[in-house]
Amino acid sequence: MRMSILLAALALAGTASCVTVRPQQRAVLADPVMQFDGESKAEALRVHAIENREGAFGGTGVAGGGCGCN
Amino acid sequence: MQLTPHARAKLAVAALTAALVLGPLGTARAQVAEFETNHSLFHEQPTKTNMTVYSPSGDLEVTPTNALSLRAGWSADVVSGASVAVKAGPTYQNIHTGADVVTTASVHDFRNVAHGGFTFRKDIVSFTGGYSYSIEHDYQSNSFNVSARTEPLEHDTQFELGYAHNFDQVCNRVQTAGNPATLDHALEDSTGCFTSAPTRTTDPISIDTLQASWSQAWTPSFMTQVIYGVQVTDGFQSDPYRTVVIAEGIQAQEHVPNERTRQSVSLKANLYLRPIKAALRLSLRGYDDTWAIQSETGELEFEKYLGESFRVLLRGRVYNQTGAVFWSDDYTGGNAPLGPKGQYWSGDRELSPFWSWLGGVRALYTVTPKHGRLIGIMTRFKVGLSFDVENFTYTQFTLGGVPIGNAYAYFGGLSINALF
Repeated sequence: MRMSILLAALALAGTASCVTVRPQQRAVLADPVMQFDGESKAEALRVHAIENREGAFGGTGVAGGGCGCN
Repeated sequence: MQLTPHARAKLAVAALTAALVLGPLGTARAQVAEFETNHSLFHEQPTKTNMTVYSPSGDLEVTPTNALSLRAGWSADVVSGASVAVKAGPTYQNIHTGADVVTTASVHDFRNVAHGGFTFRKDIVSFTGGYSYSIEHDYQSNSFNVSARTEPLEHDTQFELGYAHNFDQVCNRVQTAGNPATLDHALEDSTGCFTSAPTRTTDPISIDTLQASWSQAWTPSFMTQVIYGVQVTDGFQSDPYRTVVIAEGIQAQEHVPNERTRQSVSLKANLYLRPIKAALRLSLRGYDDTWAIQSETGELEFEKYLGESFRVLLRGRVYNQTGAVFWSDDYTGGNAPLGPKGQYWSGDRELSPFWSWLGGVRALYTVTPKHGRLIGIMTRFKVGLSFDVENFTYTQFTLGGVPIGNAYAYFGGLSINALF
């Protein structure tokens, strides 16, 4: 199962290497609404509050400190 | 002026260091500064408990050259409310009819976090390092983080690897040496924490977090990101203030395993809808840990421009998790089968099985002057407002056998950002 996932990821990565969005086509991709970490500082406060009420973690950055568990 | 050989050597080392650090940066001249302040207000008020948290933050980032950015910031949590201090299960409630076995304790805390860091860029590669220190009445944290990122293939592909390590300490009550955990008493309050008070001690917590991500632009309006994260925590992870009824007449401090390994995989996809000048963002996450909690998260955001400067976001989020393998709502007190559920016990609702939904809205207004600067100094000014509401459905967690039916949480946010 894990090997299949790894092979699929490698195949996908191989496909990616063929794809090129030309620099003059990147205007939309550079738009703030297309960023994966847009408004990251404001979102960090919201994610901090949510994650302290759930058992899960992940999908955001690694930086951080403290408990703030209340 | 005559310099001693020792002084000359120190001067040479300083000059060499400056040359090495500043030399590669000398040709670029970015000189940008960005200041951002955020304020959020969180409030929840389910049965027996309520919590209000005000979180202000301020961050300054300067980019003296294209190759280097420096950051510093501060954030805080001002906490006021109540939380469950004694937890017993519904069977105990049935045996002790009318007994209020669930009590709450008032909570007031002030968490301060100071952090700083840098990013160094060279061609398609960037390195980031940072440190944060946080302190609250009963918890201290020192956290270091580093990451490396590269953007090959005309920046269409991005790989990032990040690592963080926390050296944390949690305050606890001094327990009687040699006693089993079943005789441990909960911490009464944070008085004396992080002092030499004879009734207080600290327990260390070590947290290692590793994250790898791959972002890919597939078309001029579609991109994806895959993130894998793993976190290993070793140390005292219970709520030191909470006791759980584990036997007739015996209340013990909450007790959970010291080790926990958590991992998650996230898949994100962003699609720009040109005809309506809007973006659709989908995020899916799967999570698993060694406490047997498994969860799935789905989030969908729709953000649309209304004019050039104003944009509005609508979002929905659904979350579902199983409970920790040692979690139970039936720590009843008494003999088997009503006795303690095993080696570990927890009254933590965050470790119980539940699902939640969230709905939210955000509005952002950005001013970017086409000529000159705003009031002579700013090249961009941005202000944002957000509001979210979340509802939790606890499938097993009760308060003395009474289900919680009004578990709503509210988030409000204000963001102000200025670029100089």
